[in-house]
Amino acid sequence: MFFNPELALDALSTLSLGLLVTILLTLACGFTSLILGIFVALARMSRFWLLRIVVNGYVQLMRSTPLLIQLIYIYFALPFIGIRLDPFLAAYVGLSLHVSAYLAEVYRGGIEAVPKGQTDASAALGMRPSVIMARVVLPQAIRIVIPSLGNYMVSLFKDTSLAAVITVQELLFRGQIFAARTYDYFTIYTLVFAMYFAIGYPAIRLVIYIEKKLKRGYTAKLAEKPARDIAVMEETK
Amino acid sequence: MIEVRGIYKRFDDNEVLTDISLTINEGEVVAIIGPSGSGKSTLLRCINYLEPPDKGDVLIDGELAYRDFKGKELSKAKIASTRSTVGMVFQHFDLFPHMTVLDNVCSGPRFVSKVDKAEYQQRAKKLLERVGVAEKQDQYPGQLSGGQQQRVAIARSLAMEPAAMLFDEPTSSLDPELVGEVLSVMRQLVDDGMTMAVVTHEMGFVRQVADRVIFMDCGKIVEEGTPEALFTNPQHERTRAFLSAILSHTERTKPEPTSDPQTIVEESSYPIVLP
Repeated sequence: MFFNPELALDALSTLSLGLLVTILLTLACGFTSLILGIFVALARMSRFWLLRIVVNGYVQLMRSTPLLIQLIYIYFALPFIGIRLDPFLAAYVGLSLHVSAYLAEVYRGGIEAVPKGQTDASAALGMRPSVIMARVVLPQAIRIVIPSLGNYMVSLFKDTSLAAVITVQELLFRGQIFAARTYDYFTIYTLVFAMYFAIGYPAIRLVIYIEKKLKRGYTAKLAEKPARDIAVMEETK
Repeated sequence: MIEVRGIYKRFDDNEVLTDISLTINEGEVVAIIGPSGSGKSTLLRCINYLEPPDKGDVLIDGELAYRDFKGKELSKAKIASTRSTVGMVFQHFDLFPHMTVLDNVCSGPRFVSKVDKAEYQQRAKKLLERVGVAEKQDQYPGQLSGGQQQRVAIARSLAMEPAAMLFDEPTSSLDPELVGEVLSVMRQLVDDGMTMAVVTHEMGFVRQVADRVIFMDCGKIVEEGTPEALFTNPQHERTRAFLSAILSHTERTKPEPTSDPQTIVEESSYPIVLP
């Protein structure tokens, strides 16, 4: 028997704590980059050329270098110029900056996919450019890109494992420590594997479900009809 | 009311408008006709600055609307507030798909003029009734027929209480049997004395409601006059060729008579005779 259930049970409590840190890191970075990404996208389309150039440089830098190096740089190199972050914070900053750059591209694609007629119609009503963006273009753009955003969130969840390298006490890091202490790499890493899968797989299913649901387009809410009517409708289908 | 003075517009190498001048007086209905690519739509879009003209001025109520006398663009806020006084209806409706029909009609007052919510909702419901789609107020545009969508788009525009309305081929993307319902809403507006500029291929409608018809070709105004004069006695060869082409086409694609009496009247009682 390669897999040692007793040891696995032993490891479960510390690994669960690790999974909790992984999830926390995912949620924190996900929330930040979902919002920051919008602003980065808007900044790249700004009227102010200096802002455009700076933000553009940031996005290209993030996209053309490995995330692993970015994390290592923030945690190990920045202290030399006086910026000292604890491991979790360094991972949070690094991952958020990285993912925001990618999401900005996604948002930009979404914004460009909203038909020009929408902007024309809003402008003809007398809406100002900022109102058009906030009330007409962005709501539609975000809906268009929700499936992509979901996929990036799942990627982010998996990428948090890189934070192990800068000693964040997340799932992989705790697995490494435990495995090194007991030498039972097979049991521990199988367990770590399974725990990533237990979260990652339902997350992917959720993204697929949402994508299907969005494909139906905008429809009036059935909830406003009496529930009995809906039941009858379902039966007669 | 609306005055266009010597407008030029070019897209790359393509001169779309060449020295266009025209005046639309208060309460007047002006129809703009012409072959596609003649610049009709661009002209309308220049009137509310969706397309900034390369040269020339647009005056609304006697004032320079979008640029000062030196040709410098006015502030975005000023341009937006001028636009809100001129409504526009588009070929493809361009309703906001993420808002319900009622929210679409409320969008102008809500996001532009900061009117009290109860008041603009009340007004929006009245407008929806007026264009005959009141029962659809909680649906989304995607759930409506093209004709219904265009009527909602007209209501959305009217919610800003514009002094004039621009119609850019409002029935061109509709199924033939839905054209009548949109035209009858537009006819109501004419009856209410709305100042209107209409780009259209519906010659029956033009003949019936327009005070003046402008024929455009290759970015220029070729000829203008009352529908009577233009349809029965066009002065230019190009006008004649266009009218005979479009009228024979209309003849072929004329929709089946519907049960809506108003539509039948419209189809049959205004025969257009060419010399």
